[in-house]
Amino acid sequence: MATSRILAISILTFSLLTAAANAGPLDSAGAQKSLVCSACHGFAGNAPGQHVPILAGINANYFKKAIKDYADGKRSSPEMEPYSKYVLQFGLDEIADYFASQKKPAPAAVKVDAKALSRGATLASQCGACHGPKGDGDPQRNIPALRGQRSGFLQLQMNLFASDKRKLEDAELEEAKKRVFKGLNDADIADLAAYYATLK
Amino acid sequence: MTKISRRRFLQVSGLSVAALGAAQVPVFGQARRRVIVIGGGWGGATAAKYVRLTDPSIEVTLLEPNKEFISCPFSNLVLAGVESLKSLTLNYNGVRKHGVKIRHEAAAAIDPDKKRVRVGKDSLEYDRLIVSPGIDFQWDQIEGLAQAKDTVLHAWKAGPQTVQLAQQLQALPDGGVVVMTVPPVAFRCPPGPYERTSMIAWFLKTKKPKSKLIVLDANKDIVSKTGLFKAIFKEYEANIEYRPSQKAEKIDVGAKEITTETGDKVKYDVVNVIPPQRAGAIAVDADLVGGDKRWCEVDHVTYESLKQKHVHVVGDATIGLPVPKSGNVANAMGKICATAVVYLLNGKEVPQIAPGNTCYSWVSDKEAIAVVNAYKIENGKVVQIEQKLTAGKSVATAQNSIAWRTSIWNDVLG
Repeated sequence: MATSRILAISILTFSLLTAAANAGPLDSAGAQKSLVCSACHGFAGNAPGQHVPILAGINANYFKKAIKDYADGKRSSPEMEPYSKYVLQFGLDEIADYFASQKKPAPAAVKVDAKALSRGATLASQCGACHGPKGDGDPQRNIPALRGQRSGFLQLQMNLFASDKRKLEDAELEEAKKRVFKGLNDADIADLAAYYATLK
Repeated sequence: MTKISRRRFLQVSGLSVAALGAAQVPVFGQARRRVIVIGGGWGGATAAKYVRLTDPSIEVTLLEPNKEFISCPFSNLVLAGVESLKSLTLNYNGVRKHGVKIRHEAAAAIDPDKKRVRVGKDSLEYDRLIVSPGIDFQWDQIEGLAQAKDTVLHAWKAGPQTVQLAQQLQALPDGGVVVMTVPPVAFRCPPGPYERTSMIAWFLKTKKPKSKLIVLDANKDIVSKTGLFKAIFKEYEANIEYRPSQKAEKIDVGAKEITTETGDKVKYDVVNVIPPQRAGAIAVDADLVGGDKRWCEVDHVTYESLKQKHVHVVGDATIGLPVPKSGNVANAMGKICATAVVYLLNGKEVPQIAPGNTCYSWVSDKEAIAVVNAYKIENGKVVQIEQKLTAGKSVATAQNSIAWRTSIWNDVLG
């Protein structure tokens, strides 16, 4: 009796301790499969560069769609076309879940012209119908969050939309996007990017 | 595992159960595990940091003689006066914050049988060793170079020579001739010589328009981003003369002249010799290099040396994987190798992870081109999935390269 109890405790203790052996923030399959991503997207998806999107806290379904679109050539990016195939190769679901479960950093505390932000806020009223009043996106329709995203990346994507180099599959959304971008010039796009990047 | 008595075992078990809620639980029955990393560059600093991130119970010592990290990527911009060396100079404080012990000393020797590294008068023991020695130059491959190596600049390890070469270019009289020699493959940063060609040509075109850069390439053609660089060279054709299959055989600093393999003699006002290369000396001395006596063959999943057990090699010193010798690849290898080392030390199956390569080359003060490679593991070997090049030069690609450097410097050192 005593011996079996010792054995039971020992096995329990040993297995718990063995499991704790790695115990770092990378101790998940998703973290390991996405090790290469941090070169551009930062540790745990917290991209510090202005032209690379933050992946921490991204909606997993939106992440998966973006990866598939890059892999299929529906979205163009010399960087992401090969890496999207890497993600598909190593495990789309695990990598999507890993980034979705990471804590999104606080919006960038960068110095931005107050007038630009105010213009951006006014222009953003057109975006809210799809991206939500606070730019948090609409998971039901797989529309991405904009709040706190990197300004350079937002600007780049808006330029792609404005020049019709990035299209949306949903005809209704594509029409809405076209309507909005028809009325936006380069300065508007810069103001919008600054607004959403710093929106708290 | 160490043998212990039943009573001791119960004591340990009881204590450990009580301590299970704590973040760091000492690994039962195991002595402390030690990893030594030789070289604090893109591969080594990353590996040291990521071993700690993956398993904070492992003791990591990083041996790196330099107190500052100077980025080779972007150093060609310093030559053209577009960037300062200071903005490419970083420190190791971030790595230290992860609990990595850093000794700013060079490893003198490795004893793989005794699993020891000699540093000064000390002999440090390891359970796993990660060697990231970078490259060294084969001075003897060009006649006259060994004697002149302090005055003939390579500027191929970013640092004082980068600044000196920039100063020489600044002082070049308009109408002067700059000669650059490119070594035969394999060498650090395959597109590097051609980015350098583009940036020096941009500098000459804008500041010394009557001057010319003659490139003597030991290779038959531009070895990386070939089509893209050819288009760029065409734009700078008034200032570039690119000569393939012209391996430099001799340098005469008195006559300011390079002799090539075909016997051509080329005069210069400013010279930049990028010498032939091999793995860093410590890897050669420890017999980590293969039959070519230049580079280290490794397992494609664990980066363990094929020559020495418990010794792993990452970065430019490796050969045999279908990857370029780039900072991005070294960073990826550092992370993957760190994971493998932790799993091996914990007696677990090593996950199979492949590297990736993102490589930007600047071609003017505002524009860049890029190549990106993704890889997978097939039957234990790294195999390329896809390579993608930018359509041409662009400001957007240059902006992406700045985002990349902000991020990857942080991944290596932050």
